[in-house]
Amino acid sequence: MTKSASGARGFALADTDIASFDRQFSARCRLQRPDRYRLLAALPRDVPRIARGSGVSYVAASFGGDAVCQALDAFDRVLAFDTESGRMRVEAGARVGDVQRFALARGWYLPVAPGHPKATIGGCIAADVHGKNPARDGTFRAVVEDIELWSPGREALVASAAQNAELFATTFAGFGLTGTIAKATLKLARPPAAMVLRRMPVANLAEAARVLREATNAPVLYGWHDGRPKHFGRGVIRVGLVSDVADARELRAPSATHDLPASIAPYPFALWNRAGIAAANTWLGARWCRPGQAPLALADALFPLNDARTYFAGFGKAGMAEAQWLIPHARIEDFSGALAELVARDKPRIALIASKLFAGAADGFSFDGAGIALAIQVPAPTQKSQRAFLEALATLSIAHGGRANLIKDSTLDAATARSAIAGFDAARARLAAHNEGGLHASELARRLAL
Amino acid sequence: MNDTARTAIVVGASSGLGRALAEALARKHYALVLIASDIRDLDALASNLNVEHGIAVRALALDLAREPDPGARIAGALSGLPPLAALLLPIGFSREDDDLSLDAAAIGQLLATNLHAPLAIVHALLPALLEAHGTIVLVGSVSAVRGRRRNVVYAGAKRALVSLYESLRQRFHPAELNVQLYQLGFMETNLTHGAKLPLPVAKPADVARTIVRRLGRGSSSRYLPAWWALVAIIVRCLPWAIYRRMKD
Repeated sequence: MTKSASGARGFALADTDIASFDRQFSARCRLQRPDRYRLLAALPRDVPRIARGSGVSYVAASFGGDAVCQALDAFDRVLAFDTESGRMRVEAGARVGDVQRFALARGWYLPVAPGHPKATIGGCIAADVHGKNPARDGTFRAVVEDIELWSPGREALVASAAQNAELFATTFAGFGLTGTIAKATLKLARPPAAMVLRRMPVANLAEAARVLREATNAPVLYGWHDGRPKHFGRGVIRVGLVSDVADARELRAPSATHDLPASIAPYPFALWNRAGIAAANTWLGARWCRPGQAPLALADALFPLNDARTYFAGFGKAGMAEAQWLIPHARIEDFSGALAELVARDKPRIALIASKLFAGAADGFSFDGAGIALAIQVPAPTQKSQRAFLEALATLSIAHGGRANLIKDSTLDAATARSAIAGFDAARARLAAHNEGGLHASELARRLAL
Repeated sequence: MNDTARTAIVVGASSGLGRALAEALARKHYALVLIASDIRDLDALASNLNVEHGIAVRALALDLAREPDPGARIAGALSGLPPLAALLLPIGFSREDDDLSLDAAAIGQLLATNLHAPLAIVHALLPALLEAHGTIVLVGSVSAVRGRRRNVVYAGAKRALVSLYESLRQRFHPAELNVQLYQLGFMETNLTHGAKLPLPVAKPADVARTIVRRLGRGSSSRYLPAWWALVAIIVRCLPWAIYRRMKD
C-alpha cells in the first residue's frame, strides 16, 4: 500500500490491492479512509467514487471502475434508538453483527439480514439483500424507513417512501450508484422467544419447492442440496419455527470475536475438488438429511456463516462463484429436471446448492419475485468446464423465466444480465438519473454496463 | 468518588485518538464534553455514546485555529455536569507544507491549534480540575524529540507542551493535580493512511485504553507505545553528521 495523493482538502488516498470476496476480480485501487464527515465530502467534485463497507459482497461492487474507493469503516455508529418502537438510526458503515448484538441486548432484532455478520447496513441497502425467509420478511427495503445519501456537490439528501421516493426506491439494489449511503433508519422487530429447527429431507429440487411453499410463514426457511450428478437435488429443507418454550439464553448473540472475518485467506490448495465435495456432501447428508427437530438458538439462525471459514478458504486461490437464480413457481419443476440433466451431462463441481422461497415483487435490479431461488456455488469458475456449466445454467435459467442476482454472480456479462432482468434498460435509466455524470462507479457497474 | 459522577473533557474528539478516548471514557461511564471543529462528527459521536452507554454527553463545535478564548467556551459547557475529573487534549493539526515555507497566517493557525488552545484551555479549567483533584492529559509527539526539516512549527508547538507539562508539575503536587504527558508515535489515522512509515503505527483504541486506565494515577511523562522511548533516545544520540542527512 502506498500513498498516492493528499491535498489541501485533507483527504489521503492509498494505492491498495483489493479483491472481491469470491476472488474473481482484483484491482489496484485508490482507497480513502475518511474518519470525519468533512473528509467524506472532500474529494474533488469530478472524481468518480464508490462507497465500500466491509467488502463482503461476492462481486466487485465496492471498488474498481477507476473510482476512488471510500471505506466507511469509521461511520459505524448507532445514532439513535427508540426502545418503544424499535426504530434505530445508524451510520451506513455499521455492521449487521454489531447491529444485531445491540438490538438483541435491548429486546429487538433486525429480521432481514444476510449471513455474513460483517456486512454493513449501507451494503445491505445497496444490494437489497434478503434474509432467512424472504417470502415472509421481504428484502432489506422492508426494514428501512429512510436513507441519507451524499453525492458530489450536493447537500445530503434524505430519501424515504414519502420524501424523494423515487431515489429511495432506486437506491435498493442500486449498488451504491445513486449516491453514498451515509445513514439509515431501520425498523426492528421483536425476536421470537425461542425457536426449533425442523429438518425435512427432500429427494430433489422439485420436492424442495413444494416443501418450501408449505412453510411460507416460518421465520427461518431454506434448503441445502447435494450438487453431485448422482445425488443431484437430494437435501433437506430447514424450517425454523417459533417455540413455546422460552429460553433467555437463546437470545444472546455471540461476541464479535466469533464473527466471520471480512477477508478470508484462501488455503494454498483447493479443498473443493471432487473428492472433497463428495466427502463434505456425504457427511452433511448423513447429518442433516433425516427428519427431526432440535432447538435453534437465534444467534445460530442469524449468523449462519460464522462457522464457514474453512468452507470459503477451501476454494483456494481460484476462488468461487455463486450463480443465484429466481425461478417462477410455474417453471420450477421443468427447470429442476432440466438442471439435473445438465449436471448429469456436464458433471460440474458444485460445492453447494441452497434454496429459498420468494414471494415479493421485483423492483429495478432487486432480486425478488414469486418463485424459488437457487444459489449454486462452484469452485474455480474460470476453468473451462466450470465456465461452460455456468453459461449453460444461465441460458437454462433465462429460458425458464429466471431472474439473476446481480450482486452475487461475478460470471455474468452485460448481455446475459440484460436477458436475466426484466426491464433492465428501464432500471438502468433510473439508476443513471440519480448518478449525475456517472460519478459513482464500480467494477460491477462497468461489467454489467449499468 | 465513583466514575459515574465524573466529567471528562476531550478536545479534538471527532476522530482518531480523540474519538477513541471518548469511547473509552464512555465505557467507564464518565459524563463527557466533546470538542471538535465539525458539529456533524460531534453529534454522531455524542449520540452514539449516549445511546450505547446512557451517559450525558455535550458537544461543542469550536474552531481552535480562530477561537480567541476556547477555555471560556468549554468552561461554560460544564454547567450542571458532575465534577471535572479529566481534561484530555489529543489535539494535533499538521500540514505537509510545514517545511519552513509557511506564511505568517499559516504559522499562526498551527500555533493557535497546537499550542495556544491547550494553554488557554488548561488555564481556564485549572480551578475546576484542582477542586476535583483531576487529571490533565497533554498529548505530545515524537516529532518534537529533535527538530528537523519537516513539521517545523508543529514540532515546535509540541515541544512547548513539554514545557507546559514541566510547569504544571513544578507548580502542583500530584495530590492536587495529576499531569500526564504522552509522546505519541505514528498512529493509524487519516493522517498516516497510505503513508510509507519507517516504524509501525499504533491503533488509537489501544493508545486510548492505556491513557484512560492511567487517569488519576499520578503525574508522569511517557511515550506511547512505550518502545518509542528507545527510538527517541537513538534519535537524540545520533551524531549530527548523520542526523542532518535524514529525511524522515
